[in-house]
Amino acid sequence: MEFDLENPLQNFHNLNFDSVSCLFLIESDHIPSQNYSQTLNAGDLDIFVRREVISLISQLTCNLDPLLSYLAINYLDRFLANQGILQPKPWALRLLAISCFSLAAKMMSTEYSATDVQALVELIDGGIIFETQTIQRMEGLILGALQWRMRSITPFSFITFFINLFTLKDPPMGQVLKDRAAEIIFKSQRDIKLLEYKPSIIAASALLCASHELFPFQYPSFLRAISDCSYVNKESVVQCYNVIEDIAAEEEYELSNAILSSSITPVNVLDHHFLSSESDKTNGITVAASTHGQEDSIKDHKRRKITGFYRNNQTVQISRIKTMLRSTASRG
Amino acid sequence: MEKYEKLEKVGEGTYGKVYKAKEKATGQVVALKKTRLEMDEEGIPPTALREVSLLQLLSQSIYIVRLLSVEHIDKVPKASAPSAQAKPLLYLVFEYLDTDLKKFIDSHRKGPNPRPLPTSLIQSFLFQLCKGVAHCHSHGVLHRDLKPQNLLLDQQKGILKIADLGLGRAFTVPLKSYTHEIVTLWYRAPEVLLGSSHYSTGVDMWSVGCIFAEMARRQALFPGDSEFQQLLNIFKVLGTPTEEQWPGVTSLRDWHVYPRWEPQNLARAVPSLGPDGVDLLTKMLKYNPSERISAKAALDHPYFDSLDKCQF
Repeated sequence: MEFDLENPLQNFHNLNFDSVSCLFLIESDHIPSQNYSQTLNAGDLDIFVRREVISLISQLTCNLDPLLSYLAINYLDRFLANQGILQPKPWALRLLAISCFSLAAKMMSTEYSATDVQALVELIDGGIIFETQTIQRMEGLILGALQWRMRSITPFSFITFFINLFTLKDPPMGQVLKDRAAEIIFKSQRDIKLLEYKPSIIAASALLCASHELFPFQYPSFLRAISDCSYVNKESVVQCYNVIEDIAAEEEYELSNAILSSSITPVNVLDHHFLSSESDKTNGITVAASTHGQEDSIKDHKRRKITGFYRNNQTVQISRIKTMLRSTASRG
Repeated sequence: MEKYEKLEKVGEGTYGKVYKAKEKATGQVVALKKTRLEMDEEGIPPTALREVSLLQLLSQSIYIVRLLSVEHIDKVPKASAPSAQAKPLLYLVFEYLDTDLKKFIDSHRKGPNPRPLPTSLIQSFLFQLCKGVAHCHSHGVLHRDLKPQNLLLDQQKGILKIADLGLGRAFTVPLKSYTHEIVTLWYRAPEVLLGSSHYSTGVDMWSVGCIFAEMARRQALFPGDSEFQQLLNIFKVLGTPTEEQWPGVTSLRDWHVYPRWEPQNLARAVPSLGPDGVDLLTKMLKYNPSERISAKAALDHPYFDSLDKCQF
């Protein structure tokens, strides 16, 4: 039997008490320092840099496993928090985006590399191509700043732990809940208001938010289960929940817009680029809003193998289920 | 690396040189492990990345030697040989502990004052070892090279910590170490010696059993100098394994026909251990890897009943 080194924390039922408490103990090593969000709030330039690099990362990862982009953005935030904000030279931002992506791809053992990414970037806008050594040096800088702590403890590390606290009447519910919570977590990573919360708090809040949407009758018992958990600070969950609820609601609005606009299916990659940079200006595209048209056009450029559990088409489906559930709920 | 002042070379580990050094700013004594990073065409190799970050995660446990910092140096090619490829170096900075279990056992066997290790100390060291191994296994990590030299001790506090962990993939374990000293086989599980390609947490538990016996005996339980000799040493004590005991053993890659030895009474090999200790050791040295006790289960074994677990 070989162990899954990449997702050692997936088998939560096998974990002993020590390992769980250890996760809660060290999670703060894997998020940007406290004053990072203050710095971001203080200067427009800093927010601009972060948003630009996130937008570049999103372009690179547009139809790959969303976890890859999540990890890359986690590295980005921790790097910016540690090193201070760079001069916003376009090439520097691009190098940073490619290097964060490359490190995340290596950690997730995708066969997708920086070279492939650059080929894709060139297809999109014919931009600068960096030498391997340049990327290598940038990777080194990021690794140094992050002290090689690349196995980020993210909200996803805690989802199964919290789900197990809920006594679910219907086990498949767990999966639906998990998928919706994942969607909310992916979506909310861009919002700087969430940077001050610990991964476990974000996980708990996203799950509560998902359960409120999907299974409102069981929400009170889920809330109680999380409040009773000695590892989480209740006040933080309440605050974080309020932030996340707004993000999830905002997404609904975008979703309805996206459904309207998806009738105009982009025919090539250039259109896709245009589309994504447009919507980034209005606070990012949602994972759910990606259309099949874009996926197919880019998929043709390169066959790639991705190991991961959240796929875009799956997320799209979940959104549909959610919409269906909601319409059933309002009817009933 | 100007942050550190090298004090002395303390060893040549499997992966490269190890120095005792002092951090200039704080005066803290550390162990510096130097490894060469083999770059591929995609920059920093994914294996190195994944394993060093795994080490970062695991070393948060008090039973694992703490990784304090990672220093990555891009060596600039010398002006005299500008064509030489720049070989980046990786320094892993660990906390420094002044002795290891091998030295500790040796000091009790020979030297001016030979004496057995105190029973309570064996119990405490074994408990800490099982804690550390359980921590690794719960994160899906096998150590694969547990031996007394890899267990560092803080003698004053009576603390044992596992070292040399998790680099098994990025830096393949060579047959000969840096000093051309043959890598020890004494703690290697029979399934590994017999060439099994599927092995799991049991390989570490076998090593833990051998280390347990060695603390009680003050000498190795199975000291073999070749893979064949190593197997014979094991068979002479535990009996030649049979298909009934260990289904599939005779179809393993390196299985041969061996003389049929009968199992010895294990208690005779470790006379200083009481019945609980012998029982635990027997469970760690089960031939069938799936019957071998897990680290987590070992922690609840009656052998540890008399140990004050609150101190851990």
